[in-house]
Amino acid sequence: MRLVPKILGQSLGLLALSALCAFAVNAARPDGLPLAQAAKSEPAPSAVQLAPAGGEIALKDAAMLFLSGRAVFLDARSQYEFELGHIQGAINLPVRSFASDFQDIKSRLAGKDAVIAYCDGPECPLSHALAKHLIEAGVKNVYVLVNGWTLWQAEKLPVAKGRAAQSAPATQAAASQTAKAVAAKPGAAKPKGQEKLCTDCTN
Amino acid sequence: MHRLHQLMPVPPRQADFVLRFALALVLLYASADKLLHPQDFANLVAGYHALPDLLVNPVAVWLPWLELLLGLCLISGFWCEGATTLTAGLFAAFWVLLLVSAARGIDVTCGCFSTRPADPGAEPTPMLFYIGRDAALLGLAAFTAWVRLTVAREQAAA
Repeated sequence: MRLVPKILGQSLGLLALSALCAFAVNAARPDGLPLAQAAKSEPAPSAVQLAPAGGEIALKDAAMLFLSGRAVFLDARSQYEFELGHIQGAINLPVRSFASDFQDIKSRLAGKDAVIAYCDGPECPLSHALAKHLIEAGVKNVYVLVNGWTLWQAEKLPVAKGRAAQSAPATQAAASQTAKAVAAKPGAAKPKGQEKLCTDCTN
Repeated sequence: MHRLHQLMPVPPRQADFVLRFALALVLLYASADKLLHPQDFANLVAGYHALPDLLVNPVAVWLPWLELLLGLCLISGFWCEGATTLTAGLFAAFWVLLLVSAARGIDVTCGCFSTRPADPGAEPTPMLFYIGRDAALLGLAAFTAWVRLTVAREQAAA
């Protein structure tokens, strides 16, 4: 049947000709699409609303960054209070020992979207003081979670007791395991009294 | 040929032209908005999640031109056998794509005739409508191809 080669030839010709026209015109027109790279897909807007660095961060945003492992939490309270309970994966960095301890934990702040300082009580100045020290030391993306420890417990977010894990991977693993931890231990976070004020505000 | 004469209420050559003209209008109309707004059309193509990212832009650039060229061929009669067959194939491919998208649960904006994203406040057009409409177009294209090829065979035999 002579029609089949004719149809095939014409079809291939049409495919080739249309491709030629399409790519030639695309190259010439100012709003032509880039062909050699993947289609530009609009990144989904982040649900986390961050203030300019150095400002305060809302608990919801801090919790979301915690869940996705994008934040590191710095506990500005004393070591004693830290060991009684702290945000899971947080690093204890009392303001009074900032100068001596900062170099040890500096490497663990790298690559995070946010470095979140917290203490306890709405008037607690430690977290703000720590944030100031961090910014002066050149740390970017520093935020303060005001009344952090109380709010964190009130929402039954993951907490830990005792000394913090010393290695960065362990901290990250702790953050990434959050959902499981919450599911497995619903009673792990027990509010300790939400009106509790900072007991280590001397610095 | 005898059978076609019996089936058609009009002479096959006239039917061939009318059908090709109708199909060409559909194709030219379909290509216009896509040619004018390539980025919007690329977004719609990407929404089908049927192509690797690298192929989305080339296909979005090429497809409207293929439709335009097919429309012009169908009207002018140039490379007509290939154009009718290719149009039927194209509509068949679109139809399968819509079916697959519906089966996958992807509620796509068709992008068949317009690159405008669906109005978020409006009731979304059900996929079944798109599938039904494309089935009708596929039927028209397949019938046109059949008539055209029959006429071509007749001309070759004459």
